[in-house]
Amino acid sequence: MIPEIGYFALVLAMALSLLLCIFPLWGAYTGNLRLMRAAPSLAIGQCLLVFFAFAVLIYITLTDDFTVAYVAHHSSSTLPWYYKVTSTWGGHEGAILLWLVMQSAWTALVAMMSKSLPWVLRARVLGVLGFLGVGFMLYTLWMSSPFERLLPYFPVEGRDLNPLLQDPGMIIHPPLLYMGYVGLSVSFSFAIAALLTGKLDNTWAKWSRPWTMAAWAFLTLGITIGSWWAYAELGWGGWWFWDPVENASLMPWLVATALLHSLAATEKRGVFKSWTVLLAIAAFSLCLLGTFIVRSGIIVSVHAFATDPDRGLYILSFLAVVVGGSLALYATRVAQVHSEGRYRFVSREVGLWLNNIFLVVATLIVLLGTLLPMIHKELGLGSISIGVPFFNQMFAILIVPFAILLGLAPMLRWKQNKLGGLVKKWGVIVALSLVVTATWLFSSYDQVSPLTFMATALAVWITVATASDLLQKISSQSSVMQGLKRLGLSYWAMMLGHVGLAFVIASVTLTSAYSVERAVAMKPGDVAMLNEYQYRFEGVKEIRGPNYSGHAGVVTVLKEGKVVTELYAEKRLYDIGMQFMTEAAIDDGFFRDLYLALGEQLSQGAWSLRIYHKPYVRWMWLGGLLIALAGFIVLGDKRYRRRSEKGIKG
Amino acid sequence: MNRKVLGFLPFLIFVFLCVFLYQGLFGNPRELQTGRLGQAMPSFNLPDLMNEQKRWTEKDLLGDVYLMNVWGTWCPTCIAELGYLTKLREQGVKIVGLYYEQAYDPDFGDNFDIHALREEVQTMLSRAGNPYQFNILDLERSLSLDLGVSGAPETFLVDKSGTILLHHTGDINQRVWRSKFLPALEELRNEN
Repeated sequence: MIPEIGYFALVLAMALSLLLCIFPLWGAYTGNLRLMRAAPSLAIGQCLLVFFAFAVLIYITLTDDFTVAYVAHHSSSTLPWYYKVTSTWGGHEGAILLWLVMQSAWTALVAMMSKSLPWVLRARVLGVLGFLGVGFMLYTLWMSSPFERLLPYFPVEGRDLNPLLQDPGMIIHPPLLYMGYVGLSVSFSFAIAALLTGKLDNTWAKWSRPWTMAAWAFLTLGITIGSWWAYAELGWGGWWFWDPVENASLMPWLVATALLHSLAATEKRGVFKSWTVLLAIAAFSLCLLGTFIVRSGIIVSVHAFATDPDRGLYILSFLAVVVGGSLALYATRVAQVHSEGRYRFVSREVGLWLNNIFLVVATLIVLLGTLLPMIHKELGLGSISIGVPFFNQMFAILIVPFAILLGLAPMLRWKQNKLGGLVKKWGVIVALSLVVTATWLFSSYDQVSPLTFMATALAVWITVATASDLLQKISSQSSVMQGLKRLGLSYWAMMLGHVGLAFVIASVTLTSAYSVERAVAMKPGDVAMLNEYQYRFEGVKEIRGPNYSGHAGVVTVLKEGKVVTELYAEKRLYDIGMQFMTEAAIDDGFFRDLYLALGEQLSQGAWSLRIYHKPYVRWMWLGGLLIALAGFIVLGDKRYRRRSEKGIKG
Repeated sequence: MNRKVLGFLPFLIFVFLCVFLYQGLFGNPRELQTGRLGQAMPSFNLPDLMNEQKRWTEKDLLGDVYLMNVWGTWCPTCIAELGYLTKLREQGVKIVGLYYEQAYDPDFGDNFDIHALREEVQTMLSRAGNPYQFNILDLERSLSLDLGVSGAPETFLVDKSGTILLHHTGDINQRVWRSKFLPALEELRNEN
């Protein structure tokens, strides 16, 4: 009975969403204020119903109702309660329901926080969001209901959650990622509403910015945690695999990053208007495309989600309607849009424009790399595979001009800039960056390849340039405190975001260049050396968890004879699926990670072990967190809380 | 270019993309276009994994319908499918293993410990099930290369005359067996 109530709540939610789509859009078209006024309550109503349905799914998972197919396939009675909750989004049906939860929550938030918008615009934004809601709810109800029963023959025990997903990172990774994906639907709705209204002015950009920023920050956080999860859980110390599913999240992120910068130019200077709208459409379209790629199974991925052509066809049709419709609308309206601001070549506008070019090219590379194997095959040219080296090389090339620009552009003013003073300043910064990089690298490592040096120098350059800009901003004021006060939160956020990227670049470079690993066969008492650390194998202990058993290899790590830490690298056998899982032991540090994975049992009490020394790997996620934090800080900026126009713009 | 025309460009690109996505939906990305389908098993002369004195050639395999399963203990999916393959063996399916050693690279003159490998294989097969009549050791990867193997696990279905009928990449499970291998075997039976 209870699952059916959940299903019924979703049916009601879809009915409300349908009204949310029709009433305000029709009202805005005919100028009927009463119809438009219905939108906010409808938005909140459908949100409550979707949340209720989600609560029902969590309830039936917690109570082990294996008559429900979804619970039987993704949970089990021995699963700890927190992983039972996680299992509600560990499978396809539940993941889509989670998407719906986010979608309805964003819609309700927009309804509640858009009171200062003119009714025509507010109604249209909510109407578009309502339309998207209908699309996903119809999908859930029709093809992917998590409430379907396995009656009359149901199993007495569930199949358990995939052990890979039984990790704290996995509890928060999908919700954060979905917050980002779905949040971009708000930017999308603002863009469509603006196109429908025919008024693509600065105010549109101003309203859209905080929503885009929030969505982007969540997306950043989601990707960062996903990468950390892969590192900690997959057991081979990698952090990014250019897998189609990862690419599906990277593409919207790249475009959303471009969108943020372009929105700034549109809001402040009234330039790039039609381009900004296109980016807003593209960002969400790529989210939908990503969903299609991931869920339809047209591309082989290690994420291996269940695939079903019917579902794929539905998502593709929805994609065609939403993206095709909005691009057609864009095509008919764009000719009327005229940018008004004028600017010279050396100006912040051009800096932001270049930023956009780089980010869009990066997106196209990822898109091509992901889809080309499929297109190639459909054209009858045979199977090809595009792998990690392609992406790595392309990004390594792109990051160079991008990082150089990233150091330069924030110092440029709007409209135009005299180059003279800047060139001298840049010269000093370049020299300083080179000195810092040389000191850092040559004091730590015997061998430094030119490429490593250059990439590290780029990260240092961004940091030094950012810091010097900050110093200059402060010193132009009467006192330091005065200067710090004058800087708005947006400026701080920009600094933080850029330095965050510098951390990521440095980490990727140094980890790739200086990671070392050893595969060793060890008996208890054996000692292996790797860099300055000694690893003493103490033996293997039997372990028993709530739903698994296995072995833990105990290793004492010593440095110059002193004990640094004791590591437990586990190899688990999960009871229900009989699946082996490597649970790597990681000693994390600011400057290096020691990473240990237990392999197979060999003869005579020996075990194979893999030891990794990964310098600076943690900076990658630190950088990601800084970037995400930057996004959240902007939301606290005065401009978005009150309707004043103070603070220095970044 | 005219602004109006330019405005339609994203739309057109999207339509173009949709056509491919639609086609892709009905193709199987796991199906590789192997050149060997319908051709004879390439000739080889390779040692048995457990006994280097014993050598196998393609002629030894003539006269039986069999599966050739490319695998290795380093490959988790291969281990995962051992259970199901063992069931198939119990049903009378002849399965020959082609052992693919990943770590060893002959071009670098690596040392290779055959005894450690045998021990590892023994442990693995006794734990997860042994579906194999015997295993062929393809240390230099010559046969794998001739077969167009791109990874492990991969499985070939070969008929009595030594013709390759199917090439499957990825694991074999009940669904794959029923949807892919059984129809092919059925067809074979009807022909005879």
